[in-house]
Amino acid sequence: MDAAPIWLSLKLATITTILLLVICLPLAWWLSKKRTIFRMLVEVLITMPLVLPPSVLGFYLLLAFSPQQGLGEWLHEAFDVQLVFSFPGLVLASVIYSLPFMAGPVKSALQQLPPSLAQASYTLGKSQWQTFKHILLPNIKPALLTAAVLTFAHTLGEFGVVLMIGGNIPGVTRVASVAVYDAVEQMDFLLAANYALLLFGITFLLLTGVFIYNRTQIKTPLE
Amino acid sequence: MLVALSLIAMAQDVKIAAAANLQSVIKPLAAEFKKQTGITVTAIHGASGKLTAQSMNGAPYDIFLSADVAFTQTLYNKGYSINKPMVYALGSLILCSQRPFDTKRWKKWLTDKSTQKIAIANPSTAPYGKAAIQVLKADALLTTLKPRLVYGESIAQVNTYITTGVVSVGFTTEALIRDPQLKTKLYWLKMDNNNYSPIKQAMVLLKAGKNKAGAQKFYEFLLSPAAKRIFKQYGYQVK
Repeated sequence: MDAAPIWLSLKLATITTILLLVICLPLAWWLSKKRTIFRMLVEVLITMPLVLPPSVLGFYLLLAFSPQQGLGEWLHEAFDVQLVFSFPGLVLASVIYSLPFMAGPVKSALQQLPPSLAQASYTLGKSQWQTFKHILLPNIKPALLTAAVLTFAHTLGEFGVVLMIGGNIPGVTRVASVAVYDAVEQMDFLLAANYALLLFGITFLLLTGVFIYNRTQIKTPLE
Repeated sequence: MLVALSLIAMAQDVKIAAAANLQSVIKPLAAEFKKQTGITVTAIHGASGKLTAQSMNGAPYDIFLSADVAFTQTLYNKGYSINKPMVYALGSLILCSQRPFDTKRWKKWLTDKSTQKIAIANPSTAPYGKAAIQVLKADALLTTLKPRLVYGESIAQVNTYITTGVVSVGFTTEALIRDPQLKTKLYWLKMDNNNYSPIKQAMVLLKAGKNKAGAQKFYEFLLSPAAKRIFKQYGYQVK
């Protein structure tokens, strides 16, 4: 069994999770504030990848990144970057695809904090940023960890988008989920079983860890 | 009532598992067959390897039209097919791109820096992909070009990559060029068929099929002069 697809999947999930932590903290904070029509629309858009078939995302990405036109052409000409059939392309797709898994739980957790927390901090003359960093963030640590693990596991499970824009290049875009598909197509069921078991094991352990960690909390991770 | 009707309709049609390269030629074949017999043909497309795996796992296909002989031979050897593999057409491999290229210097153009991504079908599941690898090997290009290769899961995905322009060039079937539905202007070159083993496309009747009589009729139709004419129009060779 070739370990490269497994490593690639883990690498993709790790990078995606780190990027989404950076993106979603300010985003979730902004979303958790007073509800406006605009915020609601943004939230709808962020939640879309949860319900949209991956093939739709794959199709749009294929069109957007074609080096022949528009955005893809510009990236290609200006930076010599090609986002289809490349690892950075998979990272970008994963960030979009797993966005709701990070943004959703973090936003909910921020909204459930008592408003008096932030208000007390402002009264003591702390800035918005200081308040967020020292008061709000420590209070949502469990939610943050849960969101990060779910994002990681969800990215491991990505398949449809990768199949459409990845090109199945060994060591570059052949992630574990595609390796399973490939092995089944080649009727190499033993190889497929090995990859599948490994993926099953990793995700099972991850989720079990989250549930155990959250047992001390009032909520389960899926709430 | 509607359910009953659709059940009758379902029972009437012939389900064929067809290699992805047949996607365009199947339409006129099915239309001609319907004209002659009144029987509807429903095609399920995919890479030959995938369809073989599905046929071994209880997929209810009546006929399997492969892109090679090996996969049909596997089905026959393992007892999933009624008959031995029968060659119905020979496929031809082409080099195809949205960009114009000098057909006399295609090798130079392939190795040029401007040619960034080259699409081929997955060589382990798609015979056209295997043929593409053979061509690259024959011209001692494989080592140089390997880092630029991207693999479509079937020839259909390779065609998508070529026509959307996400790859510079791809190795595909001549049937793509012959498809009247093709809207994109493509430049292409037939590969020297001495450089790859002939793509003998064979078919078998499957035991798991639900419509044996209709399947038998379609099988015979594919070997008839009318079907051969259609295959020729789409760039296939027939005996």
